[in-house]
Amino acid sequence: MNEIDLARERAQRARASVVDMAASPAGCHLGGSLSVLDILVAAYTVAESRPGVEVVLSKGHAAAALYAVLHQTGSIEEDPAPRYGRAGEPYTGHPSPKVPGVRFPTGSLGHGLAYAAGWALSRRLLGEPGGAIAVVGDGEMQEGLVWETLQIVQAKRIGGLTVVVDVNGGQNDGYVADISPMTDLPARLAAFGFDVIEADGHDIEKLAAVLVPEDRPKAVLAATVKGKGVPATEGKASSHYVKISPARAKQWKAVLR
Amino acid sequence: MTLPGREAYKDELTALAAGDPRIVCLEADLGGPSHPFAERHPDRFCNLGIAEAAAVDIAVGLASAGLRPFLSTFAAFGTWRAAESVKLGLGYQGAPVVLVCPYGGVSGGWFGPTHHSLEDLAVVQSLPGVRIAVPCGEAETRAVIRAAAGEDRPCYVRLARNEPYEAPFEPAGRGEAGWVRGTGGPTCLVSVGEKPAQLCVAATERRPDLSHAHLCWVDFESLAQAAAELAESARRLVVVEEHRAAGSVASTLALLLPGHEVLSVNAGTSWPSEGGGHDDTLASLGLTVPAVLAAADLGVPETVTIGLAARGAPRPATASGTPHATTAGTGTGTPGATHAPTTHSQGAT
Repeated sequence: MNEIDLARERAQRARASVVDMAASPAGCHLGGSLSVLDILVAAYTVAESRPGVEVVLSKGHAAAALYAVLHQTGSIEEDPAPRYGRAGEPYTGHPSPKVPGVRFPTGSLGHGLAYAAGWALSRRLLGEPGGAIAVVGDGEMQEGLVWETLQIVQAKRIGGLTVVVDVNGGQNDGYVADISPMTDLPARLAAFGFDVIEADGHDIEKLAAVLVPEDRPKAVLAATVKGKGVPATEGKASSHYVKISPARAKQWKAVLR
Repeated sequence: MTLPGREAYKDELTALAAGDPRIVCLEADLGGPSHPFAERHPDRFCNLGIAEAAAVDIAVGLASAGLRPFLSTFAAFGTWRAAESVKLGLGYQGAPVVLVCPYGGVSGGWFGPTHHSLEDLAVVQSLPGVRIAVPCGEAETRAVIRAAAGEDRPCYVRLARNEPYEAPFEPAGRGEAGWVRGTGGPTCLVSVGEKPAQLCVAATERRPDLSHAHLCWVDFESLAQAAAELAESARRLVVVEEHRAAGSVASTLALLLPGHEVLSVNAGTSWPSEGGGHDDTLASLGLTVPAVLAAADLGVPETVTIGLAARGAPRPATASGTPHATTAGTGTGTPGATHAPTTHSQGAT
């Protein structure tokens, strides 16, 4: 099986795992986890074959997707789904370094991007290979810290950084377009000195090709569907946080696409 | 010539970096146009511009990779503008970032309240595991920077502005009380920072029966180590510091020493917004020698009541430096109220 086919299989299994986490007593941020899942699978596919490449999920509320993908890539040995959100387990609603494979705690939005920029800068200072792939949400782009960081990346010519935006159009209280639209995002990022690529955020093969960090900072605007894969949730802002019964999870997993 | 703390920091770090390739020097546009580190180690110097929260996070990213970042900006910005980054990076993650912040207290003087920092220790003290140093003078500042560089711990270093200080005592290490004067009497002045040290030196010249200990490392862990030595020396500790009562060293010592009287001469509750230098601003806050002496004598309840005038209340007497007025800092929220209720009456105001 080639690398991309393996990644697609991993994505499918991880999607089912995320649905299982939505059926936990805590529920989970389902919509954003399912939208970002293929991006994460592609990012870890890139990182697995390149030393020093760090993936940082800045939109940390999609922790369910991160845990599911880290389980598929082998960083997390046990199945995180039955442990998600439970007392005594490290699988909190936002990821922490207690989870194998997680370097930075994220979820307070904006910080993950800045940590990733620091990691990318460290490659240059240490003369070591690698870089960082920061996965941010389109709603997260409303944070001032994001733009502080982009300014520094441009000013200090921090290379080796790929910022991939999960453009699912949703945020906690509704749609990004209604709350605080990210108008002209490609032009804005280009103005900050990023090479901007627009991609289908569910095309793992394409994503794996464009996410590779390079000398110049790169922004990948990944168009995604919130709640992707579960027909009942696709495209719905209300899928942001979901708690379902085990029976419903079984139904949803049976029709995953 | 004695260097002020800011210059001593730059000079010491520049020298240390020659022998430690992990050290990186970061600035946020307040390091000055000519920086010795930038001249000597240009590849490891980075002025990140006016973006303090991102600067702290980037420093955390560098530390995660094994580097040892020192980041400097003014205390008000390093602790408040970047507060969440400091909490998550230095606190939660325990990243070995050293945050070096001049303009501590009201050393900014005429720059006004936006550039004063009377609350920074409260912010950092609330984060478990972050070490805090408030060094006095060049030698102690250098010692603090060396200690911070030598350990894998997050650290906050509070400095003043540009005024050099000839410290008449040896540098104090972590967990130590630096003894300026030991008398064996019942009352010991405990100074934190350069101006409070000067106030206490002047106070003990007038009152040779008072002891004077100086503290440099004032995070909870360090204070817990120094507390026993202080407790043994005197029954009553009068802590003099350029900070508000909340989150002060006095409040931490009061928690650590429930059997002792811990009184506080602090910066009170006002927002000094007039011109003048560091000393003028301190005087307007009631941080003066008479205030220290009044606290050492346990004050007089009614003076404390006067001193409790809330923000916006007239404070002409405060500027005059009279004992009544200078008790202002003592009275405002002193933790002594909890542990020695008979000595202060602010609860009745």
